[in-house]
Amino acid sequence: MTGFSHWLTAVKGITWRQSSSFFKNPALVLPSLLFPMLFFAAFAGGLSDLNRIPGFDYEPGYTTFQYVFVLFQSSMFGGIFIGFAVARDFENGFARRLMIATPRRSAIICGYGLAALVRSAFTIVFVTIVALVAGINVLGSPGQIVLLFLLALTSNILGSLWALGIAFRFQTLSVTPLMQIPFFILLFLAPVYVPIQLLRGWIRHVADVNPVTFLLEGGRALMAGTTGPIVTAWLVILIGGIVLGIWSLTGLRAAEKR
Amino acid sequence: MSAIEVRGLVREFKKGPRAVDGIDLTVAEGEIYGFLGPNGAGKSTAVLMLTTLLPPTSGTATVAGFDIVKQGPQVRASIGAALQEAALDRFLTGREHIKLQGSLHGMKGADLKQRGNDLLERVGLTDAADRKVGGYSGGMKRRLDLALALLHSPRVLFLDEPTTGLDPQSRSALWDEVARLSREDGVTVFLTTQYLEEADALANRVGIIDHGTIVVEGTPDELKAEVGRSSVEIEPHDAARLADLERALTPFGEPMVTRGTSASIRLNEGVGDVTAIVRALDAQGIVVHQLRLREPTLDDVFLEKTGRSLEGSGDNDEDETPSA
Repeated sequence: MTGFSHWLTAVKGITWRQSSSFFKNPALVLPSLLFPMLFFAAFAGGLSDLNRIPGFDYEPGYTTFQYVFVLFQSSMFGGIFIGFAVARDFENGFARRLMIATPRRSAIICGYGLAALVRSAFTIVFVTIVALVAGINVLGSPGQIVLLFLLALTSNILGSLWALGIAFRFQTLSVTPLMQIPFFILLFLAPVYVPIQLLRGWIRHVADVNPVTFLLEGGRALMAGTTGPIVTAWLVILIGGIVLGIWSLTGLRAAEKR
Repeated sequence: MSAIEVRGLVREFKKGPRAVDGIDLTVAEGEIYGFLGPNGAGKSTAVLMLTTLLPPTSGTATVAGFDIVKQGPQVRASIGAALQEAALDRFLTGREHIKLQGSLHGMKGADLKQRGNDLLERVGLTDAADRKVGGYSGGMKRRLDLALALLHSPRVLFLDEPTTGLDPQSRSALWDEVARLSREDGVTVFLTTQYLEEADALANRVGIIDHGTIVVEGTPDELKAEVGRSSVEIEPHDAARLADLERALTPFGEPMVTRGTSASIRLNEGVGDVTAIVRALDAQGIVVHQLRLREPTLDDVFLEKTGRSLEGSGDNDEDETPSA
C-alpha cells in the first residue's frame, strides 16, 4: 500500500468511526437538529414582521432570509461540535490510539474534518426539508443553489479547523466554550436579522468587516438569484481555511509535544 | 540489530522533575524486556517517548531501527501498543474496533477481516465481537486492546502495565499470550509493570527504574543471584528440639531472624545445601515438621539497589501524563 493510499484509508477509518458514533447516539444527533431548528423557528417565525420594514428588499422573503443564516450557523457549529468529540477523545485516551496507530497524523485532522462535513450535510438536508415545508422561496438557479450548499458546507471546515486547534491544544472538554464563543460573536455581529444596509452605528462598522457577513450576504444572493459578494465569500473560505488550517496543524504539533 | 536502542534519554516537564533522567537500554529482537518500577518512577513516560507520543528533552532512541524523533511515521508503522487504561470507544463493537484500527494501519478488505477474526479468536472474544465494548469487563477490554495492538503484526509491542486491575485468571491468560507472541512470532515485547511476579514470569531481562534512572538491569536470575543466596526455614516437629535444630544448621549458613517456632539460615552454597541439611538433621534425630526454601526475589533486588521495598513503594499517582 502506498503512503497516500494508506493515509486515505486512515482518513476514511476515522471519518467512519466518528460518523458511526454520532449516528448511533441520539444524545448527539438530536441537539444537532434541534439547535438550528430553534433558531429558525425563533427568527423566521417570531421576527417575520421585519419583512415589512422600509428598506427590507430581500425578494424571497424573511423566512428565506433566515434560512440562509440557519444554514451557515448549523454548518459552522457542526464543525465546532467535532472539536467536542476530539476533546473527549483526549480525555478518555482514545486520541492516543489514533496518534500511535496513524503513521501520518494529518490523517487525524482530515478524518475528523470529513466526519464534521458528514454531520453537517445531514443537518443541512434536515434544515432544508423543514425550510421547504415552511415555505422558503428558492429564486436562484440550480447552479446557484449548488454553490450555496457548497459554500455552507465549506464554512463547516472553518468551524472544524478552529475547534480542532483548540481541542489539540487544551485536550479537555472544559474548553468547549472557547470553541463556540468566537463563532457566536462573529455570527451575531453579522447581518442576522436584517440586511446590512439597515444596520446602524458600531454594529454596522463591525458587520462591514466581519467575514461572516460576506458568507451570509453571498449565500442570500445565491438563494435570491441576484448578485452579491459571492467571490468575496469564497475568498473568506479560502483565506480562513489556510489560516485556521495552520492553527489546527500547529495545534496537532503542540499535542504531539505534550 | 537491536529492536530498541536507547541512549541518554531524558524527559523534563515544566515546573516538574525529570521524569526520565538519562536512561540507556538495549532490547534484542524477540526479547521480552520487563521495565519494573514503582508508580511515578518514569516507566510510562519512557514508553510515551518510545511510542512517539512524547518527544524527548534530550537523548536518542531507535525502535525497530527507526529514530523516534526523526522517523516517527516509520516507528508507528512498526509498533503496537496497549497503554494503561485500554482506550476504547464504548459505542463501537469489538469488531468495529478491529475495522477502525485496521484502517489506521492502512489495512482493508478480506485480509483485515481474516486477521481480525484470527485475533479475536486468539484472545477469546469471538462470541463478544459484535457487542458494544461499553458492556465488556475490564479483562475483555484488555484482551481487545491487545488484539488491536497486534492487528498489523508489529515487530515491537509496548505493553504499559497490561494486567493492572485484572483478576488472576485474566492476568494468567494475558501472560500466556504475551509469552507465546515472543516465543512463536518473534515479537519484541517492552513490558512495563509494577508487579514483581509479572516481570519474573515473563521477562527475559529486567530493567529496574527508580526516580527516572535505571538502577539495575539483567535477567531475573542474574539480578536475584547478585543480591543474595537462598535461605531455608525449618520448623521441627518437636518444638523442644529448636535449639538443637539451630546448632545443627550453623555449619550450613548464617542464622536469620525468624519466628519462635522455626529456625532460618541464609545458605552458604545455595539450594545444593538442602540435601546435606536433611541428612544432618536425620542423623541427629530431629524430625522436620516443615521446610521452606526461599529464593531471593526481585523485591530483594529493588531493596538492595534503592534502599526500599518495591511492594507498596509507589504511593503517588502514576507518571503517565504529567502536565507540560
